[in-house]
Parts: sequence; structure tokens; C-alpha cells
Amino acid sequence: MNSEALFINGKRKYIFCGDDQGLKLLSSVMEKVIEEGLIHERFLLSDRKMPLLEDFLRSQNMGTFLYLAIPFSELQRFRTAIEDIGYSDEEVQYIGYGEKIISLFCCRCHEINKTKHEQKRLFCQGCGLDLEVSDHYSDLHDAFLGYVAKL
Amino acid sequence: MKWTADLEHFPYPFKGSTYRYSNNSIPMITPISVEITPDYKNEMLLKRNLLTHHPDRCYQSLPHTKTAQWEIVELVIDHLAAHYPNEFTIEKQNSTWIFSNKLLDEKVEFVFGDLQSLPCEPLAFISHHVQEDLILMMQRDDDLYLDAGQLCFPANWSLAFNIGMKFKNIHHPIPGFKEEGLDDRILQFLLRLEAGNPWERKNWSLMAGDRLDTSLETFDQWGQLRKQVTKENAGKLVHIRVEVQKLFRLSQTNNILFTIHTHLLSLEQLTAIPEWLQQFYDILSKLPPHIVEYKGISLYKNAVLKYLEKQLERVKAT
Ligand code: HEM
Ligand SMILES: [Zn+2]
Repeated sequence: MNSEALFINGKRKYIFCGDDQGLKLLSSVMEKVIEEGLIHERFLLSDRKMPLLEDFLRSQNMGTFLYLAIPFSELQRFRTAIEDIGYSDEEVQYIGYGEKIISLFCCRCHEINKTKHEQKRLFCQGCGLDLEVSDHYSDLHDAFLGYVAKL
Repeated sequence: MKWTADLEHFPYPFKGSTYRYSNNSIPMITPISVEITPDYKNEMLLKRNLLTHHPDRCYQSLPHTKTAQWEIVELVIDHLAAHYPNEFTIEKQNSTWIFSNKLLDEKVEFVFGDLQSLPCEPLAFISHHVQEDLILMMQRDDDLYLDAGQLCFPANWSLAFNIGMKFKNIHHPIPGFKEEGLDDRILQFLLRLEAGNPWERKNWSLMAGDRLDTSLETFDQWGQLRKQVTKENAGKLVHIRVEVQKLFRLSQTNNILFTIHTHLLSLEQLTAIPEWLQQFYDILSKLPPHIVEYKGISLYKNAVLKYLEKQLERVKAT
């Protein structure tokens, strides 16, 4: 999950997917792909609806590389769906923009805390424990796990 | 809780002189999902207490799991009655079942398949009679989901957080697991698990203290002991924690029952056997740093190694 797209060479096909603002963030990589004469396709996520995109991604061949650029707040949800379709981390770049608020599940009291994604530490609002933000994520809670930051 | 049985019954986990993550599952010789040890009564008391006072921490289930839960009840009760006929019996009169637990002097009558006939969910009910933690992994869309579980003695993970999670996702915190492709290989192995051919594996770790309930929720308390380990007290304070894990395909609902039986042994007891002492020393001294860190040994590894070296000297001198 980055805020800037990087060109990755040598893929059979490139897909640029995002909402209006997201596609702008992908424009420099898109230009590069056009310059090199590589196969590509644009997919505008006008209303950020998942099912259409899912069908589209399912119909792609192996060797397809995906750039997805949407607000940070939506990114994890999309990522889960895209992984379910079978895209691995090596086949996708996730680009986020805007303020990224994530949920953090307290390992001690199970409180779900809201926090900015840059934040690495946090005091739990439920029990006051000093929490360390991890990348262990639960779809069901739509939250990351907060571990004891300091014994 | 201390190991009180014979050392020869301890599920000693090591082979060779190094340890790496791998699929170390083996076919089970005696297909039984649960085991009764001499600590049965103490552990049931502890478990029932935890279930009563910390229900969210120790029990989670999603609504669509009831049929699979009944299948677990049947499997576990049949195993208990077949392998421990003096301790457990089951009388089945059509769908009315009478289950007797003679160790605890309890008799429960219920209608199999009828939720109203039990005081709690079926998985919770059977959990009250076995030392194992019981996890239901439901299979759908070529994946396994942790959709229900009873977990009183976790090795520092949270059932409440992991409920509903997929197999690979559950194993995300383990360093190198995904990079080495182990998560996918093990998942594929589990998806092919067949009814009637259960598998088992052992997982091990070290801990400071002898608590069975090392939940993630209470880590801020029990984790403190890690700071108190010295080469002098390591023999009594530090314990090896071995989980005997069993995997059963549930033939009717095509899900998987995963049972975890946790055993603790103090280093003092472990090192009483010279071969174990040497092998454990070799393994610990060569354990890759990412595994040392993940298993939570970093803070006191050196103290343990010094303790073991002293024990090795003692053995050589005699
Ligand atoms: C199917 C049921 C299974 C469940 C529910 C399960 C669950 C878990 C959980 C919750 C953890 C701790 C993760 C954390 O730190 O949050 C873990 C660790 C681990 N699991 Fe599994 N697991 C299962 C099967 C397996 C199998 C079949 C294998 C290997 C063949 C395996 C290998 C491991 C290993 C190597 C670790 C790290 C343990 C350590 O270093 O102490 N698991 N598992
Ligand atoms: Zn908290």
C-alpha cells in the first residue's frame, strides 16, 4: 500500500484501475507503458463498485499486472476481494490517497480504535494499553491487530 | 501446571539437531481426537473457570456452524467412549443421547441435533469435557475458515480476533511462512485431508512460567516473567510448551476439526534426560533469529543457553 505507483517491466498486460483521482496518480506509469508500446487497459471505478471490477479481473489472463488507485480508506477492502480472486502481492500495486483511517483491534480488551494509518503506536481508548499497530488484518472486524507495545 | 506423568509419555517434539518451519504433519497411528492425561481434573477446572469468566476470549462461533458443531460432538463423544470406556459412556436411543463423564461424575441427556436440549452451543458443551482446545475450520471455495472455536490455552493468539479468518491469513504473523510458500502448501495439504485418515503434528515453544492460559489478551501480565529469567532459575521457571495438534476431516459436513492439546514441561525435567538436553541445546543455539523472536524467546535465550551449558557440564562430569 503505497502512495506512489512504480513502473514494473516485463508484464504481458497492464491494467490501470482507479477512480478519477486515482487514475491521475497512475498517469506517469501509464504514459511510460504507452511509450513502450505495451498492452494495457484502463478501468474507471466511477462509483467504486466491486462486482464489475471483480468480473473484469476474473476474465484476465495470467501475467496481467494490476495498478489499483483509490482512497486509503477503501484500499484494504478492495485488496481482500482482489486476493480472493487469486491475485498475489506480486501482481498488484495498491496506491492510496487521502487520509487513511484504519481500525485497530486491542489485543487486551477487543476495543476497536480508529487511527491514522501512519501511526505506529496508540493508547487503547477502551483500556489504556500502549498498542503497537501490526499488519495482521481481519476481514470480519475490518481491523488490524494491536499488540502490546512494551512489556 | 507441571507435568506430573512419566517423562516417557511427554510428547517430545524434536528430531535432528536443527529446527525449521515445515509441514511436519504425520498420519495418526491411533486415530483419536482427544486424550485424557493424569492432569484431567485440574485442567477441566481451570478450563471451565476460564469459559465462565472470559467467554469472549475463550469461545467464538459464527451462526452457520451449528451442524458442523454437532458433528464434532458426535466424533469426540464416540472417541471418548471407545478409548476410555471406564471413564466415559454414551447411550444412544434414537436421537436421545445420554453422555456420562465418570471422571467428573456428570451425566448429560440431550437430543442430538436439538439446540434447545443443551445449555449452550454444541461445541461449547463438548469443550467442557476435554482438555483440548477445539477449533472448527470450515471448508468452502477451496479455502478454510476459522468459523468456530473454543480456546482456553492459546500460545499467545486471540480467537476473538481470528474468528472468521482464512487459513493463510491466520498464519500471516509467522515470519517467512508466506515467503517460503509454506502457507499455500499446508493449505493444499489440508484441503485434501480425508475422512478416516487423520493427521497430527507437534508445535513447540518456550515460555517463562507455567500457565496454560497464555492468551494474547493477558500477555501484558504473563509476559512479564520473561524479564525475570536467569541462568540460575531457568530450570524451574522456563518451560517447554508442546502442542499436540490433530486434524480430522468431518465426513458429513466436509469441514475440519483441529484439536490442540497443550503440555508443559520445566527445563529441569526436560534436561533430566541427557539425550534431550544435548538435542535441545543444539536446536536452541542454532535457532534462526526470526524464529527466536517470533516464539518470544529473545529476552531470555542467553540465560537458557547458559543454564543448558551448565547442565551439559554436569552430565559430562558424571
Ligand atoms: C487447520 C488448523 C490450524 C489452525 C486454526 C492454526 C492456527 C494457528 C495460529 C492461530 C497460529 C499463531 C499465529 C499468530 O501468531 O497469531 C499458528 C501458528 C503456526 N502454525 Fe498453525 N494452524 C493450523 C494448522 C497448522 C498446520 C497443519 C501447520 C503445519 C503443518 C501449522 C503450522 C504452524 C506453525 C509452524 C506456526 C508457528 C508456531 C510457532 O513458531 O510457535 N498450522 N497456527
Ligand atoms: Zn484495550
